[in-house]
Amino acid sequence: MIYTHRSPALLIIGIVMLAWGWLNQSGAADGLQAWLHPGVYKEHKQAVEKHQAAEKAAADKAAAEGQPAAEAKAMKPGKFDALKAGQAQFATIFGGIFCVIGLLVLAMKPKEGHLDYYISIFPGMAFILSIAFVVRWGLDPMFANWGKAALPTLGWDFAKILNLNYVVLGIVIGMIVVNVFRIPGWAANGVRTARFFLKTGVVLLGTLYSAAELAQLGALSVVMIGVFVLGSVWLVLLAGPRMGASNSMTGVLSSGVGVCGVSAAVAASPVVNAKAVDIAFTLGTILLWGVLCMFIFPTIGHLLGMGPVQFGAWAGTGILNSAQVAGAALAFDPHGIQTLKVAEIFNITRVLFLPIIVVWLAAWYVKREAGAQKINLSQVLVAKFPVFVLGFLGLFILSTMGVFAPAGHYQGKYFSSTEIKEDKLLKEKDIAALQAALPKVTAPEDNRALQDLIANKKLATREQDVLLRGVAKMEGLDKGAKDALGNAHKAAWHDSKIIKAYRDWIAWLFAFGLTGLGMQITVASIKQAGGKPLIIGSAVGLIKAIGSLIVVLLFVREFV
Amino acid sequence: MSVVRRAAPRTAQPTTWSRAAANNRHPLPWEGGGGEGTALSPRTLLLAHHGTPGAEQAAALALSLAVPGHTRIVHLYVVPDLWDGMQGDDWLNNAWTRDAFGRHVEGQLESDAREQMRGVAERCAAQGIECTQQLRYGKPADCLLAAARECDAELVVIGPPRPKGTLGLRSRMDLDRLARGLAVPFMVATAR
Repeated sequence: MIYTHRSPALLIIGIVMLAWGWLNQSGAADGLQAWLHPGVYKEHKQAVEKHQAAEKAAADKAAAEGQPAAEAKAMKPGKFDALKAGQAQFATIFGGIFCVIGLLVLAMKPKEGHLDYYISIFPGMAFILSIAFVVRWGLDPMFANWGKAALPTLGWDFAKILNLNYVVLGIVIGMIVVNVFRIPGWAANGVRTARFFLKTGVVLLGTLYSAAELAQLGALSVVMIGVFVLGSVWLVLLAGPRMGASNSMTGVLSSGVGVCGVSAAVAASPVVNAKAVDIAFTLGTILLWGVLCMFIFPTIGHLLGMGPVQFGAWAGTGILNSAQVAGAALAFDPHGIQTLKVAEIFNITRVLFLPIIVVWLAAWYVKREAGAQKINLSQVLVAKFPVFVLGFLGLFILSTMGVFAPAGHYQGKYFSSTEIKEDKLLKEKDIAALQAALPKVTAPEDNRALQDLIANKKLATREQDVLLRGVAKMEGLDKGAKDALGNAHKAAWHDSKIIKAYRDWIAWLFAFGLTGLGMQITVASIKQAGGKPLIIGSAVGLIKAIGSLIVVLLFVREFV
Repeated sequence: MSVVRRAAPRTAQPTTWSRAAANNRHPLPWEGGGGEGTALSPRTLLLAHHGTPGAEQAAALALSLAVPGHTRIVHLYVVPDLWDGMQGDDWLNNAWTRDAFGRHVEGQLESDAREQMRGVAERCAAQGIECTQQLRYGKPADCLLAAARECDAELVVIGPPRPKGTLGLRSRMDLDRLARGLAVPFMVATAR
């Protein structure tokens, strides 16, 4: 079979990307960027004016003193320049690659084989990436602006409340593409690579955990996932037969609802000999719940004022489908990946539970169904083992050995008084701003942390840092206090350049992967939600979501 | 082309004919036709059947219309393309697990199809009616249009839409598309 379509699409996408890179580099896109990022542009303009004023003053002074004008100093690049440079670099690199391969696609006569297969995936990848670019660079800031603009009229920021950021928009646009326009033939093969890039994102996440974080999050996730996964599998196995559902339907539903949604149902279907209609009802139910949860969970999380650890733990436990766990975590916290870090640990724990649950279900099914074929347990355990978790652990080990970041990066060594430099301590004006803000911080724990910060002029513990980052988001706090809290945080955290780059790459990999996964969610499959799986799945899904929310709010602290 | 809603089994005379039937190139029953196929005595009757109660009504209507030795029933079994998206957004499994799932689903769909096709073939054989069968994958209306064209059907018989609230896979026949695309009459067996 020949996979490569001789279509100019890849070349066209490449040329458009190169053009975008050039427009940013040359400054021709400044007007559009200023419209998309008014805040950053305003800062940039102020900095330019300040720089020009300083240059002029220096020139005037030199003229007054009868000396030759000093050579003009180049302006330090600001956020606006960095934003444009980043987009130009990204678009140029990928545009160049796509142009070269696009020309190859048009020039070569594809023959069956590996080369044809590997080349055929590029147009689809370019298709997803171009959507991810438009969403992340265009729609995300546009919706954020519209949300703010509509705030006085609506009384609420619809973009923030509805989490209309690049992650949610990417998934939604992916769903629109597949359901309304259909994926073009030339892109079909490459769209499937979304899974690979999501797994790569999870593997790279391994670089961002400290040993203490991983141990504590791991322990928490094992307890929560253990209770809720085993509990919901057991609940479905109990309710299914009582509601007259067949053994195969009950089996596939219990894995889907209990473990990690579609992936678990896919893994369990053959071992419980699920009928086609059981699979359709179950997957429809899980997808319906997954998509709804992806929108509802982040909104509830914001309304309840949850932090990254609490929300990550809740989403990682309560959302049925694992793809939407990542989506909800990034939707909740799109510009940092703290929540994703927590949620993915829960996701990985769920996946590690999967082979065990499949074996349990196989044994359960064989016991109840006369004539059912026995399976080889060790073969199932090996076949269902998620190999990418080994990659995650590998990178985590390399990272803790200091391969990617200086030793002490994860431990937050700059909390120690011996490490922090004098000039990094809070200044008098910061202390004054924090003292003025102290009465507004009513929660005793937060108030105590703030008092400690004022006394020490620096953060002393990771816990204080997490608490005060929450305080910095408080409404009604003046800018001076917020800046002071920001300075204290910056003084205590030193990220290596590699880790910063990884963080950016991880966000891109997830944006790419989730947009691609959105292209695999069809309304036709969601419409199959029905029958007993819908009733049992909805009941157990609801119990799991509410139960895990209560447990998280009661027992999970906002730091690990 | 005409759209006829009829109850199954057939009553003595057609109950409703649309105005369009008057312009149809096929001779009407009362116009005679000798050994030629007609809308109600077709030589090739295309039956869309996939085992639902509505499809059973369509089968009963088709069998009542078919004349042994004269009519050939072409049984079309459509596996709807909703299965395209049935692996959903699974991303955690490895290729081995996904392939195993794909093989399992294909096996299930094939076994369901064979069971239904065997049932219709047996009923045709019991009445001495020739039956050929087609298994297609895609949108039901598109598959039916393609099958009608390929087998030179003179009459197409389908079941009624599933009543609202009834359990089953949601993959409806697009009647509008059918009515516009078919060049031969088609009958929709009415729900009892």
